[in-house]
Amino acid sequence: MDGRELYKIYAPAVAKWIDWVHPVPFVAIDTYNRKPIVDWIDRKAIFLKEYQQDAAIFIDLPGKESIELGIDLAHNGYRPIPIFNGTDEQQGSQATTDTYLIESCLINGGEKLKNIKLENDANPAFLLDSYRTNRYRAKESIFDNSWDLYKQDIPSAEYFKQNGITRIIVVGSALQPDLKKIFLKFQERGMDIYITDGYLSPKKIILAKTIKERLEKEEI
Amino acid sequence: MRLIKIPENKYYEYRIQAMFDCYKWDPQFCDKNTLSKYVLILTKTENKELISLTEKLDKETRLAEEYLNKNIKIAKKLELPKKILKQIPNMQSYNKNKNIRLMRYDFHPSTDSTWVVTEVNSDCPGGFAESSLLPNIARNTINMPELEYKSFGEQMVEVINKKLNKKWTIMMVHCTCFSDDRQVMQYMGDRLKMEGYNIIYGAADHIKFKNKNAYCILDNNQVRIDLIFRFTPLEWLIQMKPRRWDGYFNTTTISCNHPISIYAQSKRFPFVWKDLEKAGISMEEWKRLLPETLEVKDLSLKNGFIYKPVYGRVGEKISIKEACKDEEYEKILQDVKKHPKQYILQKKFQSKPLKSEDGKEYHICIGSYTIEGEHAGYYARMSPYPRIDSYAEDIPVLIEK
Repeated sequence: MDGRELYKIYAPAVAKWIDWVHPVPFVAIDTYNRKPIVDWIDRKAIFLKEYQQDAAIFIDLPGKESIELGIDLAHNGYRPIPIFNGTDEQQGSQATTDTYLIESCLINGGEKLKNIKLENDANPAFLLDSYRTNRYRAKESIFDNSWDLYKQDIPSAEYFKQNGITRIIVVGSALQPDLKKIFLKFQERGMDIYITDGYLSPKKIILAKTIKERLEKEEI
Repeated sequence: MRLIKIPENKYYEYRIQAMFDCYKWDPQFCDKNTLSKYVLILTKTENKELISLTEKLDKETRLAEEYLNKNIKIAKKLELPKKILKQIPNMQSYNKNKNIRLMRYDFHPSTDSTWVVTEVNSDCPGGFAESSLLPNIARNTINMPELEYKSFGEQMVEVINKKLNKKWTIMMVHCTCFSDDRQVMQYMGDRLKMEGYNIIYGAADHIKFKNKNAYCILDNNQVRIDLIFRFTPLEWLIQMKPRRWDGYFNTTTISCNHPISIYAQSKRFPFVWKDLEKAGISMEEWKRLLPETLEVKDLSLKNGFIYKPVYGRVGEKISIKEACKDEEYEKILQDVKKHPKQYILQKKFQSKPLKSEDGKEYHICIGSYTIEGEHAGYYARMSPYPRIDSYAEDIPVLIEK
């Protein structure tokens, strides 16, 4: 299965939310001839008791875990929407983030996803790599392929609400700064933000700007 | 000029093709699909006219920037960033015959049936694959093989082949954290690789300069660079830490673009036209096509004028009220108040919308490229309101025979 066929599994023509599936890792699967991984783990979304009609999920775990958990959420009725956006490093150089593993793991995930029957209007479970913002370079010759999630990479709060979604559940150890920036605006627009480590029930959090954030020039 | 709709039942495949065969890695911006469901068709006459205007503008621009580079007193009127201003003495060795000059002029149809040019993307124009590959996919999708287009990429390859040995190394310099920058570089890099060049992708700070020559410092890629193909804007480049960007300004390595591009990139460019004309450089085409531009001297917005940032990109911070979202308009006015020198006033022109077959109206911006003074294809965008910004859709351009 090539990147294009795989993309169509994650983003079938008839389904909702598929416009946000980022093509970058799928294109790379073809460019770099990626193969499936051998150590796939079938994870369980323990934090979720049942499908929640009013919630969208953002899985912010290391890329492989994110995809593995995303597939279990598909079993629970959620559509996994990969929004990985990191590019591959120059051949031969070292990179700050690992895109290979994500690209390979998407192949395993796609093979499983094609056998799962999902409703066309299934709520989204956005898949992120929590290592995406790792931009520490031990030496200057390292290729920085870290990336941030921006508000333009996902639906707006208005769009979520128009589609019956009023709650965002983040699965991750903490809310990363790029997500906080986006979800602060979501909160201002009347959405509730929840967080879970992937095991415990999601807890509502109230986001507030730090003094530093308040002093930062607001983006127009 | 007309719009042809891509059949609904073919659009999904067209979008996939755009992503996988045409390097369109950013087809969505927030809630907005940014790949148009239409194709823009130009008549032969419109195409001829645009080519002629583009090349005339380019001739003026290139003469102007060479003059400004030699006349720092006049260049100072552009209010260039201080760090760049200090580099002008280092740019005196600029050799136009050695480097590759690439620009893109933004044309808009106006209600009085003339073209209006709102700016030149002088430093780092993008949209290469959309100009070079998308028209072919669109032509096949709407099944109109008789339509033509000029591929930006093919022309760039031709120009590079004339200046470089195919065994040489080209570094595609971009912001490596942004996939939308990489998509521009990846198309050009892949195409040049087919010619035989050694292609390296890296960030601006992956180059070190020694005796004015550029060298790559990426692990296992530590070679001399023969062409710097830069997609990192100069305003960003000069923020780089640790500071090693000075070399870009006086390097003898072939550059596309050389930092000389900064003069016309400033929206204050019209403020030096009088000086240029005094020196015998005609700015006739620019004067005819660019809306009246004024300095922000007092803060009362002149009737019929809009604010534009001096170094704005993709329509950001342009105060077209009907195109602004939420509190954007008020925020722009506040920003102008705080930083008046970072904005100019430009007379608002009446954009003439184009009606589609299904009765929808769209405002069009046709970016017309030049490489070394010659027209090199189009990159067009369209929007339901008269501002072409990040929410605008990319639309392939085809030309009637």
